[in-house]
Amino acid sequence: MTTHLAFTTSPAGRTADFRPVEGGTDTVSAEGLLLTAYLIMWALVFGFVLLGWRRQSRLAARLADLEQALARAERAAPPEAP
Amino acid sequence: MQRASLAFHAVLGAAAATIGVLIYYILYVTPEAQLATGGLAQKIFYFHVPAAYAMYLSGVVCMLASAAYLVGATDRRNAWARAGAECAVVFGLLVLVSGPLWARKAWGVYWTWDPRLTTSLLSVLVYVAVVVLRAFAGDGDAERKFAAALGVLGTVNLPIIHYSVQKWGGNHPVVITKGGGGLADPRMGTALGIGFLAFTLLAIVLLALRARLALLSARVDRAEERAAAAGITEGL
Repeated sequence: MTTHLAFTTSPAGRTADFRPVEGGTDTVSAEGLLLTAYLIMWALVFGFVLLGWRRQSRLAARLADLEQALARAERAAPPEAP
Repeated sequence: MQRASLAFHAVLGAAAATIGVLIYYILYVTPEAQLATGGLAQKIFYFHVPAAYAMYLSGVVCMLASAAYLVGATDRRNAWARAGAECAVVFGLLVLVSGPLWARKAWGVYWTWDPRLTTSLLSVLVYVAVVVLRAFAGDGDAERKFAAALGVLGTVNLPIIHYSVQKWGGNHPVVITKGGGGLADPRMGTALGIGFLAFTLLAIVLLALRARLALLSARVDRAEERAAAAGITEGL
């Protein structure tokens, strides 16, 4: 049994040149766009959390220093006269 | 562990688990749609729409806390107003990044000055203005009140984003809002529901983290004022 496929039967009917679609701009893959959207999205969220965490660590250290200094100053101050 | 901390960790765990389920659902369960315009790129929808909803949620938190601050100024209200604006910027950026990547496949262009896109960009810019004002204009009472007023005014734009697509048309689809055709497959509706839940939990986590950070910053400012009043300069 022989199988004849439409696109192989007629050499004259084959595409002889490639012409761009009028106004066609589809040059990127959907997979690439989906992956890029995911990567950027989670990078934004994790970056936001990481920056917040770093700032919180810095502020907590600063607050501890200030409270220690205030406590030292309170201990060093002479008691008030009755 | 304190009750508030326990609740925060429970929400954090739930957010992480729901996001995991959402990613699995998007990749392996939901069918491809809109094959003529990219197929797989349509799956951006399942986190693009929930991110827009999370931006609304953060904007509403910013507005309520800002209004409360204008009525009676407290550090806590200021912290939540600040957190709301910051989270609205982050979720707004997620919308403005994911939308154009999908549009590239669906419309052939990354950006067009469609009513919904333009009003969304405007809203994000308003919240960016609030964040920049709070970051660089000092943390005095006048600056806080100005930022709070801007936070209240900025939220006025949110309903305009929502109704712009119905009132003025444009390229942006109206699938799940009034006039839309809905989601043809029940798995799509489930994925979107999981997306809404995941982004609600994520918004709660981020809002709580940023509010805690703003409160800590206010405590440091108070301690610095006390140290300056006591004449402490050594080691600081």
